[in-house]
Amino acid sequence: MKTSQNQDERTGAAGAAEETLRVIANLPAPDGLVDRVQTRLRTAPRSARVLSWPMVFAPGGWVYGPAVRGVAAAAIVCVVAGGGWRIYSHVQPAASARIITMPAPASTGRGFSTAGSVHTPDPRPEPTHAVDAAAAPSMKPNLARPSKTEHAKKAPKKLPPADAAK
Amino acid sequence: MSASLHLPWMEITPTAVHDQASQHANEEALAALVEQYATTLYRVAFSVLRNAADAEDAVQEAFLRVLRHRDSLSEIRDHRVWLVRIVWNIVLDRKRRAKTRPETDDVSELARVLPAKGLSAEEIAVAVQHHTRVLRLLEKLPVKEREVLVLSAFEELSSVEIAAVLGVTESSVRSRLFRARKLMAELLERPRSVR
Repeated sequence: MKTSQNQDERTGAAGAAEETLRVIANLPAPDGLVDRVQTRLRTAPRSARVLSWPMVFAPGGWVYGPAVRGVAAAAIVCVVAGGGWRIYSHVQPAASARIITMPAPASTGRGFSTAGSVHTPDPRPEPTHAVDAAAAPSMKPNLARPSKTEHAKKAPKKLPPADAAK
Repeated sequence: MSASLHLPWMEITPTAVHDQASQHANEEALAALVEQYATTLYRVAFSVLRNAADAEDAVQEAFLRVLRHRDSLSEIRDHRVWLVRIVWNIVLDRKRRAKTRPETDDVSELARVLPAKGLSAEEIAVAVQHHTRVLRLLEKLPVKEREVLVLSAFEELSSVEIAAVLGVTESSVRSRLFRARKLMAELLERPRSVR
């Protein structure tokens, strides 16, 4: 019973709110509204134009005739074709690809390169003293480098000069 | 014997005649739309803006938009819904922009526009106060519910047409309307329960 009473109250409240909205929705328009809108539409610019073209360019003008359109289309084709031909005639076909042999690197091995330096023989003259080949000890190749002790043992003792013995 | 100069480009082509005729027809159609729907659009605009001058501006702007698209008038199936949708978008946009401005005084504006035939000054004051309170509570509703409730007050708009104006389905219009009524009733009851 109480629930239905609350329901009725709510419906009545909502109805009152809607009544207000209905009053506003049925308000009469101000006098002369239609005339003012019509006047505004009459004075409004017909369409947004950046440039004011003469009537011949307006839709329906003679510019839009089929002959003029054909001439315009032909002119566009000529311009495009001419431009294409001009580009074609000026641009030469590229030469065939050539193989360029690169110089071999100076040093292919690892390590430091010679940096282009060339070995040249020593320009100094030959030594003037002749080496006595007979005096030279004949040694086996493996004994070419005697040890320091051996060298010290076999080394001839310094003899006093012959003149001094006398 | 007069030799008249006649060049092909001087002829008025049938296309030009057709264009002029269609333009004239469009202008006549637009004038008819203004005659028929200006009042409805004004009411829709006023229900949101609640200011007579702003509502009239919105109506004029709506018809100026129609003027720009007058060539496509013949493609519109339901002019009424189309126009209401245009003015609805305009007023919502204006209201959004006007939020920075101080709100208009609803009481004085309503007292000026509400019909007062056969009512005493005291009765008018009470009615205006009541309507003002309802409208202020209406602002507390969620946007979607409020929009549906405002548009449902227009007898000339069915739920299908309201759905078309808002760009939603008819079922969502009905559910929103139900929620709006419920919320509105709660808001109206709240001060009484406090007392």
